[in-house]
Amino acid sequence: MLSKSNHVLSFAKDLHSILGKQVLVENRKFVQILTLNRPKQLNVLSSYMVSRLLELFLAYEQDPGVRLIILKGNGRAFCAGGDLASPFQRITQGDWRLGADYFWKEYNLNYVIRTYDKPQVSILNGIVMGGGAGVSVHGRFRVATENTVFAMPETASGLFPDVGASYFLSRLPGFFGEYLGLTGARLGGAEMLACGLATHFVPSVRLPLLEEELCKTFLNDAACVSQIIAKYAEKPALNKKSAYHQVDIINKCFSRGTVEEVLSSLEIEAAKKNDDWISLAIQSLKKASPTSLKITLRSIRDGRLQGIDQCLVREYRMICHVIRGDISRDIFEGVRAMLIDKDKNPKWEPSQLDLVTDSMVDGYFSRVDDKGWEDLKLPSRTNYPPSTLAKL
Amino acid sequence: MASSDRVTFRTQILNRHLRPSHSHTFSPPVSVSSSPCLSYIPPDLTEPASSFDTKEMRALLDAHNIQDRDWLFNLMIQSNLFNPKLRGHRVFVCPDYNQSMEQQREINMRRIEYLLDRGVFKGWLTDSSEESELRKVAFNERGVVHLDGACVGFSLNLLVSPCDGLKIRSSYPHSSKRQVLLDFRGGAIQFFGTKRHHDKWLKVTEDLGIKGCFSMTELGHGSNVRGIETVTTYDPHTGEFVINTPCESAQKYWIGGAAKHATHTIVFSQLKIEGKDQGVHAFIVPIRDSDGNVYPNIRIADCGHKIGLNGVDNGRIWFDNVHIPRENLLNSVADVSPDGQYLSAIKDPDQRFAAFLAPLTSGRVMIAVTAIYISKIGLAIAIRYALSRRAFSLTPNEPEVLLLDYPSHQRRLFPLLAKTYAMTFAGNHLKSVYVKRTPETNKIIHVLSSGLKATLTWHNMRTLQECREACGGQGLKTENRVGNLKAEFDVQSTFEGDNNVLMQQVSKALLGEYLAARKQSRAFKGLWLEHMNEPSPVILPQLTSSSLRSSQFQTDIFFLRERDLLNRFVAEVAAHQKQGRSKEHAFVLGHLLAEDLGRAFADKAILLTFIEAEANVSTGPLKNAAAAREEVMKLCSELRPHALALVSSFGIPGAFLSPIAFDWIEANSWPSSQQVP
Repeated sequence: MLSKSNHVLSFAKDLHSILGKQVLVENRKFVQILTLNRPKQLNVLSSYMVSRLLELFLAYEQDPGVRLIILKGNGRAFCAGGDLASPFQRITQGDWRLGADYFWKEYNLNYVIRTYDKPQVSILNGIVMGGGAGVSVHGRFRVATENTVFAMPETASGLFPDVGASYFLSRLPGFFGEYLGLTGARLGGAEMLACGLATHFVPSVRLPLLEEELCKTFLNDAACVSQIIAKYAEKPALNKKSAYHQVDIINKCFSRGTVEEVLSSLEIEAAKKNDDWISLAIQSLKKASPTSLKITLRSIRDGRLQGIDQCLVREYRMICHVIRGDISRDIFEGVRAMLIDKDKNPKWEPSQLDLVTDSMVDGYFSRVDDKGWEDLKLPSRTNYPPSTLAKL
Repeated sequence: MASSDRVTFRTQILNRHLRPSHSHTFSPPVSVSSSPCLSYIPPDLTEPASSFDTKEMRALLDAHNIQDRDWLFNLMIQSNLFNPKLRGHRVFVCPDYNQSMEQQREINMRRIEYLLDRGVFKGWLTDSSEESELRKVAFNERGVVHLDGACVGFSLNLLVSPCDGLKIRSSYPHSSKRQVLLDFRGGAIQFFGTKRHHDKWLKVTEDLGIKGCFSMTELGHGSNVRGIETVTTYDPHTGEFVINTPCESAQKYWIGGAAKHATHTIVFSQLKIEGKDQGVHAFIVPIRDSDGNVYPNIRIADCGHKIGLNGVDNGRIWFDNVHIPRENLLNSVADVSPDGQYLSAIKDPDQRFAAFLAPLTSGRVMIAVTAIYISKIGLAIAIRYALSRRAFSLTPNEPEVLLLDYPSHQRRLFPLLAKTYAMTFAGNHLKSVYVKRTPETNKIIHVLSSGLKATLTWHNMRTLQECREACGGQGLKTENRVGNLKAEFDVQSTFEGDNNVLMQQVSKALLGEYLAARKQSRAFKGLWLEHMNEPSPVILPQLTSSSLRSSQFQTDIFFLRERDLLNRFVAEVAAHQKQGRSKEHAFVLGHLLAEDLGRAFADKAILLTFIEAEANVSTGPLKNAAAAREEVMKLCSELRPHALALVSSFGIPGAFLSPIAFDWIEANSWPSSQQVP
């Protein structure tokens, strides 16, 4: 009896120390440096990491000694997203609600970051996708580098861009957000800066110096942080082939009322002019889950007219429908094809855009009809100052 | 609401009655002494959570095409054509008030082209299904949220309303070779023409848009269409009609799109065949070539700067022996054969004229629903502002009181809010009878659209004025929109029929039904006059709070008022006729009662449609709207906790409100002032 409980205790201790290393915390005077540390998994956010980050952010907000949070990743990724494998394991094993808990926590973290009182600098020196965007783009400063690769690739795996993406994608210039969200197109650091997803571009060699100066300086306010980053930042030239040069065509096509119209207007453009990015976009749309595409477009369009809180509440409804599989089970097929069998050849159901009806799409935006299910509740944030509110 | 919630809710309300409003439970603790500078606290964080789902409420209010409406908002917010401006860290699609009339017209045209290119007008003219018509109305309502001197919304409005003077249409630059008529008025060709016109004009018009306009009003005649002086004759030798402006008062006036852009117009004119006047008919007339040169024998002048709607190029047109092909007569009710025979299935000229003009009701439907939407914008701005602006402390060192916590401020805005809700449902009812129209319903649509157009546009003006004043000095700034909306929408009480004239039409129709029922000794039927068949409702001398709030009582007093006015109007007209005056003269003399009666009818219609809408919703949000209606009668304070949720339910994105609806301190801060010219 005694030995068994000892065993449990020591296992818990081990687990804690393993998990504990997933987020490294370094205190530098007024600055807290948080490092996402699962380099082999490209720093995907485990349930533990989400809880830990939330806990740390909330604690630092109360701590007058903390003036700045730096968030970065260990290895070649900043963060490649949420850890889909673990919630989906739990979902397929039993109650979908265990999976929902993960998203509940994650969206709360996204909300806290968006409404945060103190400046946060995210160093995006590598892959930033999905949930990785959720913990950085909502923050005050996003520093991209020549190593940055950004994407919201959810539609390719039967999901939709969540983590408040319907808020930040919809606020990009024109209809660039629809382009990113629907096609999952990749951006480099220069493009992130150009469209506003990043606030600065700093060559990676200068990152250690930047970090050092941020840690050494007495930081009065966000403007002070901004000035320091600006000293290391430069204005990179956009790649000639960058889709961002084509914003006119993107606006023309991605402003359409329906996914079908987006696709057909892209095909018309492709017939006029043979451009790599257009054929890539068409290809991505054709490979993606038709259901995902439709709910993604609606989500971004709704998000443009909503505050961050409404966006997250809506996304939580959507994700619950997605993981319950009550309308389409594409997510399970997506996880199979992308993460388990890795054949990258998902068979979507419904298989075509025209088979996804409006009422199916409506279903994703309705409350979940399940006993005890609740809409997402976000922490009360009544005390933050107007400067933070402006971010809303 | 769970019963425990309800108990808490009631307790809070009682609490607020017992305690003065300045200490009401939801006020955030702002201490004047410790913080001498005010900071903006968003009402969204401090107001109680809404007791109903604002999304569901919006769905009830908007009733149809919600996704389409939101798409239109998206299109406008994301395009620089709509002049997005950053104020207090928020984007507002706020018109540029420093633009000249010419610039406003130019940008307006480009906005229409943009929306056309994005497919907003797809099916606008060619698809007349109920669904498509509702979509049109939805876009029309939404488009106007960006209304300003250079606003596309108004043009959208005009696009769909086949009526009087002010219209505009868009052109598609790449298609100038194709001579097609774009009927701005949303369907004049559709309504007045027949298949030969539809096939020839509609699809090309909708797709490619040549620019069209609608020439009905003249300098000398507006509401009295039958009095217009433009004359058209037929020349059987050439097979052409010849159009003339015989005198200055016959010049076409307020013709939207005519001053700059239009290539074609639909001319309303007297038709004279072999010296015999056959009444008013409509003709398609080319007025400019595709390069914008005015054709010979046509003269065009600008109407000049106006108090609003300067993005619309209203013009004046004179015709000097203009020849057009015989087929250009829009022959829905009458035609002329190649050899010059006048042919019409409707022999009676009065009936023919009525049938001819029946389609014009669509314009009134659009105006009525647009007006109520504009009231929502004004109220959303004024109420949000009143939920964040404070003035005066009741005791020293106490926080100042929120404007909306003053009973006087509530009394100013809440009845207007409640009426706006009720009128929204009346507008929805009007839309639904309009899109389901049949020849049998033409009369009720005419009467209802007349009464509601007048009532809702007057309500809008009154609401905007109150909102302007309720915003104080901030209401003066054009960027805060309310004041400008007044200027832009003032004309609504005039076009598509002067409001007073329309109200007389309503009274005439009621009188007609009264006389017909009496003459045929039959019961009253239609126009919701069936209550006249019942004994007069009895109003108890002692009114209690609960009787005041019962819908039975409310219906009774509205019926009683209409019954009384109708009886008196009938008696007065009869008395005048007995003295030897004509029926028309008797009407003119009975104008006081006629106008009151018109209002009584419209108010009754609004109440009945609202009560009906309420009955159709068994649970959920409308119950609260019902509560709102009841409570506003007596206790504005009970409405107070719902104020934010009620205006949020309008579903107007923040970008279409104004800086004072949000952080007006930040919007006016020094750094913000440095960004904005």
